[in-house]
Amino acid sequence: MGKINTVLGPIATEQLGVTALHEHIGFGLPGCDLDTKWWEARPKMLEVTINKLRRFRELGGRTIVDCTGIGTGRDISYWQVVSRVTGVNIVPMTGFVSGDTVLPYFRDKSIEYLADLFYHEITVGIEGTNVKAGAIKAGVSRGGLSELDERVYRAAARAARAAGVPILTHLSIDADRQMDLIEMEGLSLDRIVIGHSDGKEGLDPERDFRIAERGAYVGYDTIGFDTEKGTPEVPAPFWARPKGERLDQVMNLFNAGYANRAIISCDANCFALGWASTEHSVAELLENFIPDLKDRGVSDETVKMLLVDTPASFLTMQDPQPNLVEAAKKATAQV
Amino acid sequence: MADHLKDNVVQTVLGPISADELGVVLPQVQILSIIPGAEFAPEIEMDQQKQYDALKVALIEYKRLGGQTIVDNGGMFKGRNVQLYRTLSKETGVHIIASTGLGPGTMVGSYFTTQQTEPPGPMPLDRLAEMFANEITKGTVIPRRERTGPAGLICTAANKDGITEFEKHLYRGSAQAALQTGAAVSIQAGKDPVYELDILEKEGLDVSRVIVGGLDSLDADERGDALTIARRGAIVALDHAGWTPNRGYVSNDRRAQLVLELFKEGLGDRVIISSNAVGYAVGHEASQIGFDHVLTSFVPMFREAGATEEQVKQLLEVNPQRILSLEGEKGLFKPEVEGVDITWVK
Ligand SMILES: [Zn+2]
Repeated sequence: MGKINTVLGPIATEQLGVTALHEHIGFGLPGCDLDTKWWEARPKMLEVTINKLRRFRELGGRTIVDCTGIGTGRDISYWQVVSRVTGVNIVPMTGFVSGDTVLPYFRDKSIEYLADLFYHEITVGIEGTNVKAGAIKAGVSRGGLSELDERVYRAAARAARAAGVPILTHLSIDADRQMDLIEMEGLSLDRIVIGHSDGKEGLDPERDFRIAERGAYVGYDTIGFDTEKGTPEVPAPFWARPKGERLDQVMNLFNAGYANRAIISCDANCFALGWASTEHSVAELLENFIPDLKDRGVSDETVKMLLVDTPASFLTMQDPQPNLVEAAKKATAQV
Repeated sequence: MADHLKDNVVQTVLGPISADELGVVLPQVQILSIIPGAEFAPEIEMDQQKQYDALKVALIEYKRLGGQTIVDNGGMFKGRNVQLYRTLSKETGVHIIASTGLGPGTMVGSYFTTQQTEPPGPMPLDRLAEMFANEITKGTVIPRRERTGPAGLICTAANKDGITEFEKHLYRGSAQAALQTGAAVSIQAGKDPVYELDILEKEGLDVSRVIVGGLDSLDADERGDALTIARRGAIVALDHAGWTPNRGYVSNDRRAQLVLELFKEGLGDRVIISSNAVGYAVGHEASQIGFDHVLTSFVPMFREAGATEEQVKQLLEVNPQRILSLEGEKGLFKPEVEGVDITWVK
């Protein structure tokens, strides 16, 4: 029993099925829409997107969490079409990918304002719709956790406590500080995925164990961004890893008994906005990565835990505590 | 292009027209001004009908007072809505000139400042210039759908605390686009207008094609920037008519004196006047000064201070018409399908 918000309305936890927790219909930095270099006719974008999600579904996939925050390509009405056409549940997020993607209007806003904004998108709706967010995005700017990033983390934690949804982050850089911020705001660390722990950007496999030991989730969620996929036309992005190296990293944590503290996802864009992605799809999670895990001896039960059980417990909304936003505001006012 | 166009062509949102059709011009204002991101905030009302109604009233009043053309200097990322401007222009008969360009840095999205490269960096200079130039020659963009009527001017701005490295980059990209198209560049100067003009000149741009805005600030007046900039050959924009010393700008009395001083020095062909008015502001406070202010308040004061009718005409018509004219034909709007308003995405 439980509830999860999707672009087509709330669904029951049991309806989630095989879930990829960190994906994108299309992510792009604010402003990329003005550069015609990246324009593609909607029917073509839709076709590519539908084909990828259909493949995911044919392989048993049922739900994706779209980790595109405010202003970076989140497009609710478009996603509703995609979800209807493919049958894949899409869980939309509030929050910001990182401080450097925050648009000017929001850059100077207080923690209280941002917490209210996220809470509004979870409980009332996103951008004037009645579609409610199912999780909150926070993340680290290029160059490390910034002051604005920290405001977003604190606000995300407050809204997460108040509304009962979890947090997923962009990057594991400064992971200890990320977790400190979450704890300072009184949110349990089992409500956060520290994302992109398997990406090359700020890579630190030792850190995975600290994240797991503190009770947060380690995000192995750039699966398929393999250096081997680079071509002269489209080089692998700077966060790509050799495929085998990523598997080694994941297996090290699993073999230490922490598979229950990890999540797996692809961070694939169905259609990247404003940047050139190597060939990539959420379907690769089921097509390539799960067989690779099994080859390395990962059991069916563990696979089910990674694809179904962990996402279900993580995404299921906990009892909302709306008074917490008010309480936090009062506490701040008193300081 | 059509034969009726003489030498001087100006690009309005409805297409190129001859400069002398512009009549009285109000440059250096913003028609619709939206802080980027405000459209995503639940407390912000995004109602195009309200925007349209308010702007239509303002434009009709401006026209009643004798105004014929209005120039939006907001660039491409601060709420510009060329489709709305085209409708307003058709309905009111006021010529509207839209701008391309970006800035100040605080009003720009991270696609332009922090690209997904290692290390992160801004959009390359040649790409910036190409993007701006295309908005003049191929039409302004409506995100991921189409191009519509052209931009007629390239606008950028620097931080009031001093121009940043990224803003220098924007200035250089704007200058390159101006060289490619023959369109003028309008800057809203930061701390050091002379230095900012140098950046554009070093890029190879003739300073007579540059409008330097904000030269009626108290600081600029104290330094004598208006005279310095005009002597260099650039266009001085005293573009805060109606703003007062407690907001950091000289009074209209002083502004009128400044214009007369420029005329006395033989630099009367290098000055324009505006109020930096915002027609409709979303997500920020704007001055209550309207499109009418220059004609109803400044011009009478200017006449009283001793200006001749010829000087008034120079200020409101001759100068802006010349500056807004494209140099040569290389920047002339050429929609991909002749005679059609829109160019669809490929
Ligand atoms: Zn992502």
